[in-house]
Amino acid sequence: MEAIDKIVFGDNQFFGINHMSQEKAQALSERFYDISNIYKVYDIAFKNGINAVMLNSNERAKEICGYFKANHSRYSHINWYPSIPYPHKYAHLVAEKGIFPAINEVIFNNNSVFGVLETIAKGGMAVLGKNPIKMMQLLIDAEYRIFKGLNVKVLFLQNIIVDLLLGYGIKEVFYEYCEFVRKKYNVTPGLITQNLPFLKSKLEEWGIKEVVICSSINKIGYLMSPNVDEYVLTIENNNPKDYQIMAMSTLASGAINAQKAYEFINRLNIQSVVFGASQEKNICETINLVNLQI
Amino acid sequence: MDKVKLGIIGMGRMGITHYSIINSYKSVDIVAVADASNLILDVLKKYIPQLGVYKDYKELIDVEKPDAIIVCTPPVSHFEICEYACEKGIHVFCEKPFTVSPVDAQKLSEAFEAKGLINQVGYVNRFNDAFTFTRKLVKENVIGDIIRFRSEMFSCTISKKEEGEGWRNKRENGGGVTYEMASHAIDLVNYLIGTVGSVQGTVMTQVYSKVVEDIVSSTLRCSNDVYGTLYVNWCDKSYRKPSNKLEIFGHKGKILVDQHGIKIFMNEGNDQYGYHIGWNTIYITDIFTPVPFYVRGYEFTRQLYYFVDLILGLREEPICTFKDGANVLQSIHGMFKDNLKN
Repeated sequence: MEAIDKIVFGDNQFFGINHMSQEKAQALSERFYDISNIYKVYDIAFKNGINAVMLNSNERAKEICGYFKANHSRYSHINWYPSIPYPHKYAHLVAEKGIFPAINEVIFNNNSVFGVLETIAKGGMAVLGKNPIKMMQLLIDAEYRIFKGLNVKVLFLQNIIVDLLLGYGIKEVFYEYCEFVRKKYNVTPGLITQNLPFLKSKLEEWGIKEVVICSSINKIGYLMSPNVDEYVLTIENNNPKDYQIMAMSTLASGAINAQKAYEFINRLNIQSVVFGASQEKNICETINLVNLQI
Repeated sequence: MDKVKLGIIGMGRMGITHYSIINSYKSVDIVAVADASNLILDVLKKYIPQLGVYKDYKELIDVEKPDAIIVCTPPVSHFEICEYACEKGIHVFCEKPFTVSPVDAQKLSEAFEAKGLINQVGYVNRFNDAFTFTRKLVKENVIGDIIRFRSEMFSCTISKKEEGEGWRNKRENGGGVTYEMASHAIDLVNYLIGTVGSVQGTVMTQVYSKVVEDIVSSTLRCSNDVYGTLYVNWCDKSYRKPSNKLEIFGHKGKILVDQHGIKIFMNEGNDQYGYHIGWNTIYITDIFTPVPFYVRGYEFTRQLYYFVDLILGLREEPICTFKDGANVLQSIHGMFKDNLKN
């Protein structure tokens, strides 16, 4: 499979997400309320050698993608690693309306493509309910739309969805997701998980290969189920031709200092690291510390 | 018993999550689900052909004879489902707020205990590392005797004016911030400080909802004579995710805790924990314990595995029983009554 970028620049810092500290998250969200401050940080990252961006399809992603598309000539070398969906959007819709009406709203408010109109004509949700794969494809279309026109390498499915589906152990859903993304969008499928050993063993069992797996990987085992040892073993035995592994939460939300964190990461058979930072000093430090074996 | 035959009643948001989590437990066999909607049943049947699917929970129980069920239907139906399960000798995990009547809740608690059946309510914060650790600190008297507390919960669950006839227009469907969210904030007081005995000065405010309340505040008096306040708002857009916050003020210091960590201010040092005078921070990464399978948060896995472990006899001490559920309902109904006076 095509090799992915070794270092990918993440986005949590821009959207008021900090798992350790609400105050820090709040301060960041104030700073990045002005979207031009987000672009400034991207420019600092690019200037220091980063060529890849992971971006979740949240409320602000549309505007960010629009900016990079509008300035294509300046950013044509950047590779994109979007993740879908934005879980909180669904969480709120589901809380308000229930699961199927929420899906309904996302699909029908965001798509005007022929396939959807046809589906409505045939009886809307009742029809879609009988064909969950079609429903999933329509949801992907709705979420992917904002990334069209960017140089997308991998399309990731968020861990809340991956791990939920993993618990059900249904092969078809994973298989169809990967096939759809490969065929329709010509990008590598990616899966984010907090259960890497389990997910990888299921993908192998199901014969689903050439997938990028992104997972929290840090030496204290934070957000790593079942535990660090299982992760290390799984990663050691992995063939990157089948699955490329991207590490996230390498600092465990700041619990580990960068030096120690990357000593651990660099020893493992990992193909890529995604990290977020908003200060040039921290961006450069991480770039210098990441020294993967590939 | 070495394998638990399990049924899930109600395949909405929580049922779907619980299925995924508990299906990862090797000693559990999910034999069937029940739901009023054909949509979800059709999808499940299509991909999991061996799974029994039922519109009627009684039929599920009669035909499949599960050892245990997880109940995640709207709260108004919890009483009859739990009662039926009890008659048939089935262990029950029931979602919060358990029932919509403290009398029913108490009845169920007694009935399950009399039959020796495992009974658990889904107050998931009791399985969160930050709150569990706080409980340990309080029990060990690290901040001394508790003088006052504040229990708050915020979310942006409701962000628009209500349209049509949704679940929100009736309290009995779990509508209203008090049933849906204040229940968590009250249970945490019961868990960390002492069972709430009475309430006063309750005020309920509508923001977006037409019938039920969106904000509730009250003064709580615990059985150990400690007073504190409650403030819960489910339409606060400054919160991305639901968040519980507690401030516990004691003779020797105070604790600020939420799902993600703890800050302790100490009036004097504590050698046992290495806390110095002034502020000490405990991050979730310092105190978390891993879970075998992660879907929505450590605590969600832990609470369901715990339920199964109790059934299998691998654990003995229940953490969140029907009695705990009944205690919360007592306070909630106290607040409904009190609000009418104010």
